[in-house]
Amino acid sequence: MIDLLKQCITMSIPLVLIALAGFFSERGGVINIGLEGKTLLACFFSVAFTSRFGPVPGLLLTIVATSIVSLLHWLLTQVYRMDHIISGMAINLLAAGATSFFKFKFAPDGLDDAHVPPKMLLYALGITAPAVLWWLSHKTRFGLQHRSAGSDPDKARLLGINPQGIRFAALIGTGVLCALAGSLLIAETPQFTDGMTSGRGYIALAALILGGWRPINAALACLLFGAASALQIQYNGQYIPSEAWKSLPYLVTLFAIAGFLGRNRTPAGLGKP
Amino acid sequence: MRVVWLVIGGIILFIASLWVAGANPLTAVTQLVTGSVGSASAISGTIRELTPLLILGVSVFLALKAGLFNIGAEGQFVIGSCFGAATMLALGGPIGVVAGVLVGAIAGGLWALPAGYIKAFRNGHEVITTIMLNNIAVNLTKWLVSGPFKGEKAVSATTATLPVNTQLTPLIKIGQFELPQAVIVGVLLTIGVGYWLSKTTSGYELRAAGANPTAAEFAGVKTKQVTVKAMFFSGAIAGIAGALQVAQFEHRFYDGSSVGYGFDALGVALLAGGNAYGLFASSFLFGALNKGGTSLMGLGIDKGITTMVLAIVIIIFAAVKYRQRGGQND
Repeated sequence: MIDLLKQCITMSIPLVLIALAGFFSERGGVINIGLEGKTLLACFFSVAFTSRFGPVPGLLLTIVATSIVSLLHWLLTQVYRMDHIISGMAINLLAAGATSFFKFKFAPDGLDDAHVPPKMLLYALGITAPAVLWWLSHKTRFGLQHRSAGSDPDKARLLGINPQGIRFAALIGTGVLCALAGSLLIAETPQFTDGMTSGRGYIALAALILGGWRPINAALACLLFGAASALQIQYNGQYIPSEAWKSLPYLVTLFAIAGFLGRNRTPAGLGKP
Repeated sequence: MRVVWLVIGGIILFIASLWVAGANPLTAVTQLVTGSVGSASAISGTIRELTPLLILGVSVFLALKAGLFNIGAEGQFVIGSCFGAATMLALGGPIGVVAGVLVGAIAGGLWALPAGYIKAFRNGHEVITTIMLNNIAVNLTKWLVSGPFKGEKAVSATTATLPVNTQLTPLIKIGQFELPQAVIVGVLLTIGVGYWLSKTTSGYELRAAGANPTAAEFAGVKTKQVTVKAMFFSGAIAGIAGALQVAQFEHRFYDGSSVGYGFDALGVALLAGGNAYGLFASSFLFGALNKGGTSLMGLGIDKGITTMVLAIVIIIFAAVKYRQRGGQND
């Protein structure tokens, strides 16, 4: 039972961080298919920096580097006005290629115990993040502007808000949270392998949608998905084939998008310039 | 002007990456070219790589014309491969191949259908639904080939190998040069879809629904039905690609047999730039880079560099071609 609970937390907290990273960008109006790639890059940065500079400087550098990548997404979608989906896919492609290409040079080995990202700190951040983001989104001026940029950028503009500027800040937030998620994954398995995020970016996106683009609900959806995979690991296909368990989050999301589980809450300005 | 900066940035990123990794950019580029088109066997390898990309490119291209991003080509390809392989094994012989391709097409089309339906009638974005369907497809086929469809003597999750009379042979074989039959199917599909889109009423309706759904609706096009239809045909073509991949090259279906062809196909379709015949050029570029990338491994350069090049090419192209209008500056 304790094992199951532990497994559940290990599986869901990275998802929570990635889903909230998605919250930052999508609620601000930037469709983010690129979460997978950003988290993968964060894993790579985490190994590369932490092995050289130690846990805390390594974490900070990972945050900076991942934020810069996230700002590339801002540059492409907001300055070059590129289609959001194409740019997100391109970032995933770039991340997969770059990490595979550079891993022998910068992140060839596993990390030793003295050079592991601060696991407990990251878990604590992951657990508090949904509440913090809820507060930020609903109780602060920035939160209101952020939501308005994602709901109706044209009206936001009339009120003197600059959606492009808000999204700049939002995508830094995405970068920071992806960096935390990537570092957490590395803290658990201290070695970089190709494609080690194994679809977590997409599952987190699914959780965000299932949670109606709201931080607390999205985190609960992540918990649900995490519990499903923890059960799958625990019982390893004893009662139900493990493939069926693994498909469950995607199936539930499919029904949610089809509107069979309550109304569609997609931010109205998602993907609008 | 901004695009010029993007091009310069891309080239710098490419050269700097090679330089940082300790490889000579000039040698790398030379190897990339000779490894992809430098010899008869290299060209054959490039054709092998471009075949699934061309057919999948047609699939994604068709959906794109209807205003749909079919990220699900990957899943439809896998489903088409799996059910196609099972049919070919069950029936055997040339009839088995034909039936397998048909079954693959139907399976792929049906797999895409929920995405089309949800897009048209429930207002759910097709990108998200197809990503979900991709993951379900991978899990479903994995379960199928480790259970019901598993080959008798197989140790891992794979079907049995097709008997020789159920495999597609190369159409032309001169020394090391091989021209597979599947690539001919790809060429015919490209021409067929290009013709359908530009010369027929239903093709015109599909393009109208993609370009401006509101206007198309007023002009009497049933855009919802068109969306569902486009998604079905796109899925069916992806399924054909999957079944042909089994019949021509792999000769069996196993878990993990697609190496992300569906995602590359999105790039292929985008680079075709609205013209079906552009698919020949773009699938060739992707095929050559894939093949050349493998030969870079001989120089100790990771294949990842070619993936980076593709990403950069897509970004630059999309910055020119797929720009949004409206908002602040308009």
